[in-house]
Amino acid sequence: MSGEDRLVEVSGDGYPVGLRDLEDPPPIHVLGQLTPSPGVAVVGTRRCTRYGIDLAESFGHVVARSGWTTVSGLARGIDAAAHRGALRSEGHAVAVLGCGTDVCYPRENRPIYDRILDTGGAIVSEYPQGTPPARWRFPARNRLIAAMSAAVVVIEASRTGGALITARLAAELGREVFAVPGDVDREASEGCNRLLRDGAHPVLGAEDLVEELALILGPPPGTRVVRSIPDGGVDIEELAQLWNISISEVLVKVGTLELAGRARRRGGRVYPV
Amino acid sequence: MYAAAMSVALVGGVARAVEVEVHVGRQQESFKLSGLPDTAVREAKDRVRAAISSAGMDFPNRAVTVNLAPANIPKAGTDYDLPIAIGVLSASASIPHASGAIITGELALDGKVRSTSSTLGAGVLSAQMDLACVVAKGAAPDAAAVPGARVFGVNTLAEAVDLFRHGLEATPEPPTRANPSSPHRSPDMCDVKGQLLARRALEIAAAGGHHLLFHGPPGGGKTMLARRFASLLPPLTESEAVEVALIHSAADVVRGVLPDRPFRAPHHTASRVALVGGGSGIPVPGEASLAHRGVLFLDEMAEFPRGNLDTLRQPMEDRVVVIARKAMTVRFPAAFQLLAATNPCPCGFHGDPRKPCTCRTAAVDRYRRRLSGPLIDRVDLVVEVGRVSAGQFSATSSEPSVDIRNRVIGAKEFGRARTDQIANAARDAIGAALESGMITARGAVRIRRVARTIADLASEPVVDEEHVAEAMALRNEW
Ligand SMILES: [Zn+2]
Repeated sequence: MSGEDRLVEVSGDGYPVGLRDLEDPPPIHVLGQLTPSPGVAVVGTRRCTRYGIDLAESFGHVVARSGWTTVSGLARGIDAAAHRGALRSEGHAVAVLGCGTDVCYPRENRPIYDRILDTGGAIVSEYPQGTPPARWRFPARNRLIAAMSAAVVVIEASRTGGALITARLAAELGREVFAVPGDVDREASEGCNRLLRDGAHPVLGAEDLVEELALILGPPPGTRVVRSIPDGGVDIEELAQLWNISISEVLVKVGTLELAGRARRRGGRVYPV
Repeated sequence: MYAAAMSVALVGGVARAVEVEVHVGRQQESFKLSGLPDTAVREAKDRVRAAISSAGMDFPNRAVTVNLAPANIPKAGTDYDLPIAIGVLSASASIPHASGAIITGELALDGKVRSTSSTLGAGVLSAQMDLACVVAKGAAPDAAAVPGARVFGVNTLAEAVDLFRHGLEATPEPPTRANPSSPHRSPDMCDVKGQLLARRALEIAAAGGHHLLFHGPPGGGKTMLARRFASLLPPLTESEAVEVALIHSAADVVRGVLPDRPFRAPHHTASRVALVGGGSGIPVPGEASLAHRGVLFLDEMAEFPRGNLDTLRQPMEDRVVVIARKAMTVRFPAAFQLLAATNPCPCGFHGDPRKPCTCRTAAVDRYRRRLSGPLIDRVDLVVEVGRVSAGQFSATSSEPSVDIRNRVIGAKEFGRARTDQIANAARDAIGAALESGMITARGAVRIRRVARTIADLASEPVVDEEHVAEAMALRNEW
């Protein structure tokens, strides 16, 4: 079961600043938690290769582990893998949908959807809850992904796919675009190779990506203080379940947040500051 | 004629040798006894006289003088009946000299030997001095539990006489082995579902010897957790087990020589004497000393009268209770670990997510302040227990005490071998928290201490930022 989302106006608190770069920034519906940490989109085609899946998971992982937000579209294939990688790192994950935030499409990605919410991430859409998925809404979704992110990493893309559209929109908005080079005769790499020809940064590996991103976004903040504490406070023991880490690791994080002045503990409960 | 027998007194939880000197003169019949409290002398004379005649032997109709030395150590009047009787019979040449054994026992008028609170002490001296000891048969296994003791149990004075006539040639009591199903055995942590936070705090407290406070609503599991704490501590060594048993016997608590750490949970109505020891006669150890090398658990700590709690300050500081008397000062060891539990307010539900607190704000504050002061200052870890706990409905069983205890033992061993180091960043983190007013100077010391233990549990010689962070999250902010 998903809860009711909240509408964040363009001028409102917590509105992702990147979206204001759009010509007509829309108010957005948010389920879960957005954070001010810079977003990095990891996107690609649904008709991807095993190789693409592995890369997406690995890149989603290092981005979130470094303390940035992994942004993707919850689609099959590359998107889902990028989210999975981010969740494995205990970092911050955001999924942008082309339907209502209460509609998990495709349904097979429900575990990812739930886990994003459980771990303090967010589901974002410009459409109200109950809006069904429709093909014509996906470009609008891609526009949000591009604008919300400081950089876009395309893992695999066909010549005409949505991922390529996201990358083009990102470039227009002045975002850095990264693409994974691939075999010239492989359909799933055609889009990426074209992006590279047009000036995208080639990605040579996960660590290389982090280094390149650090040049643009500044040094990675790390995950130690990136986890957010829910607004109404939370029991420390619940965090162990929520973040799926040991109680000792939870205490380290809670103590670190407290030392950084970002949380306040009262007894067994911790509140954001 | 002169003879001496050996006996024992418990002073401050230590067994001390007492010499029973007997002189039988030529003068007309009399019985002088010195070295015991006056009130006890008359009765001792009567019992010894009656028991000797019940054994079918003659009490000498001469001038009998008995002295118990040294005079200044406090002695219980009934403990010396048997050594006095043996000394008298020996001085009047009815039996051979008996100075080669430590003797303790109370005599009934019919000559039966009863056990005394010094039985275990006799065993301890027997091992220390490499002498035999003679005690009441029924209590002989208590003395035989001391490694190296040579113990003879006797039912009657006549049996004791027989023993000495045969030069202690009989077969001694077999050594007593600790009963593995003893009632002192602590319940196990595997019975505790969830309570991740409290479990972690208990592990750290056990590894570092930190005093710990649980707070939270009634029925939340504070007591259940506390009762399992002793099971996380390494077993007592043989000599520690003897030391602990001896203190217990001084309070007339039969415990036996067991590896299990003592767990003492005095009620909040316990008197000051019950808590720290003393009393009108021979000084008796209190709960603080009965918990020596173990755990002193103060349940509902806020209900204890403030003055009584304050008496525990000195033992917590010095790890010993000092009882000053006119004749001498007695010291009982009291190196205990304090475990305390309290409700957050009089009704118990302040801060509980499920049930509203019905107390006035002022009453909650007052209740909280009852725990302020020197005792709570020494508590390194404070943990809330009893909110809805993650995993409490889980079907999988929790980690058993033995696994946690092995980590505790590992951390203690690691702690003994390393030199203490702290990373600059960790020191800076404590400094910044201090500067911002988040913690006090005392708090900084406590956090440093707990961080050291957390590092030891991870086998890391250098205390780093993460260790400090975890210590922050468990700190005492009472
Ligand atoms: Zn209350």
